Amino acid sequence: MAGLASAFGSGAMTNSISEIADARVIFVVGSNTTEQHPMIAMHMLEAVDRGATLIVADPRKTQIAAFAHTHLRQRSGTDVALLNGIMNVIIGEGLVDINFVRRRTENFDEFEKVVKRCTPEVAEKITGVAASDIQRVARIYATEKRSMLFYSMGITQHVTGVDNVRSCANLVMLTAHIGQPMTGLNPLRGQNNVQGACDMGALPDVYSGYQKVADAGARKKFESAWRRKLPSAPGMTMIDMFDSAREGKLKAMYIVGENPVMSDPDTSHVVEAIRKLDFLVVQDIFMSETAELADVILPAVTFAEKDGTFTNTERRVQKVRRAVRPMYGAMPDWKIISELSKKMGYEMGYRAAHEIMEEAALLTPVYGGILHHRLDAFGLQWPCPDADHPGTSFMHRKKFAKGLGTFNPIEFTPPEETTDMAYPFILTTGRLYFRYHTATMCGRTATLEREEPECFVEINPKDAGRIGIRSGNSVKAVSRRGEIVVKAFVTDRTPEGIVFIPFHFREAAVNLITSPAVDPVAKIPEFKVCAINLVPVIPKPGERPKNHYNRKEDLKILNELYEEPEVPS
Amino acid sequence: MKSDLVLSKAHLSYWLRQLRKEADLIGPLRSTDGDIVFSSVENIHDIVADCPANLPCQKEFLFPQKEEMYKFSPKGTERPGNHKKRVIFGIRSCDVSAVGLMDTFYGGQYEDDFYMERRKNTFFISIACNRPDSSCFCIGLGTGPFLKEGFDIQLTDLGDRHMVQVGSAKGRQMIKGFDHIFRRPKKADYDDQYEANLSSQSKFEKRITLDNVRRKILAGKVPDSFWEGVASRCFQCGGCVYQCPVCTCFNVVDWKDGGAEKGIRMRIWDGCMFKGFTKMAGNVWPAEQIAARTKRWYFHKLLYWPEQSGKFGCVGCGRCTITCPGKIDMATVANRLEKKD
Amino acid sequence: MKNTKVHWTCKDVTRKKNGKRGELYAPVMVRVLDVVEMTPDVKLIKVEKPKGFSYSPGQFLMVSVWGAGEAPISITSTEGVHNEIELCIRKVGLVTSALHNLKPGGLMGVRGPLGNRFPVEMALGKDILFVAGGIGLAPLRALVNFVLVRKGDFGRAAMIYGSRGPSEVLFRDDLKGWAAKGMDITVTIDRKAEGWRQNVGLVTEFLGKQKIPIKEGYAFICGPHIMIKNVMRDLSLMGMPTTHIVTTLEAHMKCGVGKCGHCYMDGKYICTDGPVFEYPELKKSGAF
Repeated sequence: MAGLASAFGSGAMTNSISEIADARVIFVVGSNTTEQHPMIAMHMLEAVDRGATLIVADPRKTQIAAFAHTHLRQRSGTDVALLNGIMNVIIGEGLVDINFVRRRTENFDEFEKVVKRCTPEVAEKITGVAASDIQRVARIYATEKRSMLFYSMGITQHVTGVDNVRSCANLVMLTAHIGQPMTGLNPLRGQNNVQGACDMGALPDVYSGYQKVADAGARKKFESAWRRKLPSAPGMTMIDMFDSAREGKLKAMYIVGENPVMSDPDTSHVVEAIRKLDFLVVQDIFMSETAELADVILPAVTFAEKDGTFTNTERRVQKVRRAVRPMYGAMPDWKIISELSKKMGYEMGYRAAHEIMEEAALLTPVYGGILHHRLDAFGLQWPCPDADHPGTSFMHRKKFAKGLGTFNPIEFTPPEETTDMAYPFILTTGRLYFRYHTATMCGRTATLEREEPECFVEINPKDAGRIGIRSGNSVKAVSRRGEIVVKAFVTDRTPEGIVFIPFHFREAAVNLITSPAVDPVAKIPEFKVCAINLVPVIPKPGERPKNHYNRKEDLKILNELYEEPEVPS
Repeated sequence: MKSDLVLSKAHLSYWLRQLRKEADLIGPLRSTDGDIVFSSVENIHDIVADCPANLPCQKEFLFPQKEEMYKFSPKGTERPGNHKKRVIFGIRSCDVSAVGLMDTFYGGQYEDDFYMERRKNTFFISIACNRPDSSCFCIGLGTGPFLKEGFDIQLTDLGDRHMVQVGSAKGRQMIKGFDHIFRRPKKADYDDQYEANLSSQSKFEKRITLDNVRRKILAGKVPDSFWEGVASRCFQCGGCVYQCPVCTCFNVVDWKDGGAEKGIRMRIWDGCMFKGFTKMAGNVWPAEQIAARTKRWYFHKLLYWPEQSGKFGCVGCGRCTITCPGKIDMATVANRLEKKD
Repeated sequence: MKNTKVHWTCKDVTRKKNGKRGELYAPVMVRVLDVVEMTPDVKLIKVEKPKGFSYSPGQFLMVSVWGAGEAPISITSTEGVHNEIELCIRKVGLVTSALHNLKPGGLMGVRGPLGNRFPVEMALGKDILFVAGGIGLAPLRALVNFVLVRKGDFGRAAMIYGSRGPSEVLFRDDLKGWAAKGMDITVTIDRKAEGWRQNVGLVTEFLGKQKIPIKEGYAFICGPHIMIKNVMRDLSLMGMPTTHIVTTLEAHMKCGVGKCGHCYMDGKYICTDGPVFEYPELKKSGAF
């Protein structure tokens, strides 16, 4: 989000899902779309059926990559170099939309200097993608008008996450592929309502609608509405919070609907931080690994038991309605929070979800016209400034949210951890289709649990041959932080030198070994790159329990089957 | 056995209201967020009788998504059962045919008592379809838009009145005692019915003959590479299986109440599109390739159903066409196969 | 005496008089009489035979433990030879782990007998070769005992039994007893082991080394999928008529009565059309 905000002034999908099918070029970077955003992938396939060109950049051979006209398999963590290489070709071959660059953007000259240095040949050396492929993709992407760029966690979960996003923004501005239907930059948000949570200010530095905490005007508005003085400094990011908890500076934590013990990198450090806390409150719908460490657990309701709205990846605010009565005294999150607030001496006094929405609309310009009674059919897409506004299907028309779009000169920097003799493999982590996040929910469903019952590591056949393992063998994945034991799954889906482990499994929690490095701006951990070693696990001789068949007389009986010739017939 | 009657539209709600005294009346209703679903009818005028043919599905009422089979505890087991009498109003001909197929499957040598119990207590008033969706293709299968047999009661909309065809003992039970609202049809009624059927037939956009497809497969003209191509577009969402009114597979799960020794053995819908479906204990995966799984689904419906019961395991309702994100539904695949040499 | 008519005992108590069962999925609770630990992960569980219960070699039971679930287990005992029902269970999943925890006196649920039986009548008066791999000996044991007590009705009997190692060899006493009754038994293990003076190698390496005329003999096979596949192919290549080759298959099952769909394979339900199949039936499918 931070990356897009610095370039455009707001962070969300700039297009609508329904536009995808009519695009001419679809460029997907770092997104396993068919597995993680199947409904979006459906529209992408539709576009391909209608003749669109699909380009996928992903080290893994995902299902969407199988449909790609060009599949770029860059080394994990080299996205900036790849994108700079592409932009270098666009500049070098005169494919820049110079009118757009002049009218709508700033800082092009600085940016050009950096990109000029990254020729396709330089990019090839860093990324492993052939220079000719980089050139071809640049030409396809730049010359077609209805080009849509998509990215997801494969871009953001790096130490250079913000740089990666800014490079994507540079690319769309360079070719003017923004601000029109079917042309734009589209981050695919994963979890249900993660977009809505960000929109409503569940970030340390903004109020709802990305209004800066540091902005005195915005702060004043919220202060007068809430009748309380508000802090002027942004809060801490999650990673900072765990760091200061570990240092003993942070004493109490209130975690709502998150399971950081499983989902955050370097698990043992997270657990250590939590144990240092004086007081931990966890609010969730099921018992999670984190909740097990809590002093107080507040039972929340599930999606089906509450009213409210969810905002999806295309900025569409949609209404959810209670379908079943809450069970076992669980309450909706807003109610728990306002009850707590009451006990702490501040009466919020909300009676229903739509009252909160009303306040959100009042204080949030982009949500100005989003009110429950307007959301009945298909919801509304923000920005929607007033009660008569029909919502916005594509963003940045005529001008960017922040005025001029900004080119950010980005140099390639390697990932925090690189491979060496001791840790020769790049580990990239990710998700599986049949599992959701840390499995607090899907793990309770027999059919889903059956699909992927155990953790595995995807490894290229050549690498597997080199270390002497076959599919199904147990391997120990060792990093500088820890080790886990997983089953090997030998496949050419992952390229040589890179291995993939899904993070959903409690028994083999990959975040015990992932790198704690984070992006300096967005504080997103580098889940996609860390250096590990794989060691085949050979069962020790004494490991299998001995049994009575190994005794001498048992063997004798078996041996005697042959040695008794006087068999009666 | 069969008999035809005419019912004025003015009397339909009276009739349904009387039936509701004896049983739960289920009909297609618009839910708060606009979807049309089968649910218990409060106000008879809320019934959306002319909703698109393949929106709501009756499968849930005969083969629920989650059915409690046995409750167990240290004291013993108990079978909850379901003896609720239901009249389901407004299902279309394709779904009546689907119920017929389910009856064949769940009956036979080993009769599924859970299904049969529900089936015994369910009465259908079906509608000879006058509003086929663009995805519908029952017409090529003879499972719709109107039926000659297999229904309890079939209604044909004749403008100001309905032709009421009674096709079973259950159907007779539903008209019994209502002589004062039904009358014998006249020639004009039959003429109008014929007209209604003709106009309905002309509304179909898809014409698919599964028989041609079946012959092509049997003749060995469909290579495995074709099924691999189909499977490459499979998202493994299971939508085709869950939406299909003929798909019957289930999983059995024991749910324990906390750590206690009591709990519920239930069966839930399952789908052959999932790789874990055939997984054996000890991590043996017989159908690990998606291609094997999609092929099995099509072969079951196109080859094995006809082999075993003489009918296709598909009624042309078009629900998989609506739901499939990869566009590898029965109609699309059959169309491609029909055109293939 | 050869060619005597074998008296078949196969009475399905699970079906009522009208040919249909009242409750298809309701297990009958039976008491565990004895539990024998055969190897670290295989137990032989003996349970009481319910009244009127009667079964044939090749059939299986749906065995259930409330709270854990149900699993198909082949019956390894033989009617007329054993008084109890014997089930040979390897611990591989949730249900089998629960079964392993059962103690004598405990209860388990059973449904059945289900599935078809070995068509052993076709081998009357003929020589029979049994080929087993690992736990695949369990369903064959029922048939071996059936054949050996009717020795006069059949010709010679031989067995090749492959195991991973000496410690995994099952039914050691039975093997000895069968050898004593004149059965030609070849036991082989996959890899060399200390103290083992017998054969080492896959079962396929020992085909044709018994005194069974391949062209007239009959073969009954059970084991891992890959073993079944190879043995069937090799025997037919050696000249055994395909109709003389019989196997029994294993599959994921939830109902055992052809409803849940899990064991569906090429138009056949392994539970109701099988689990015993003749080679020609399987040859059509790509899996064999």
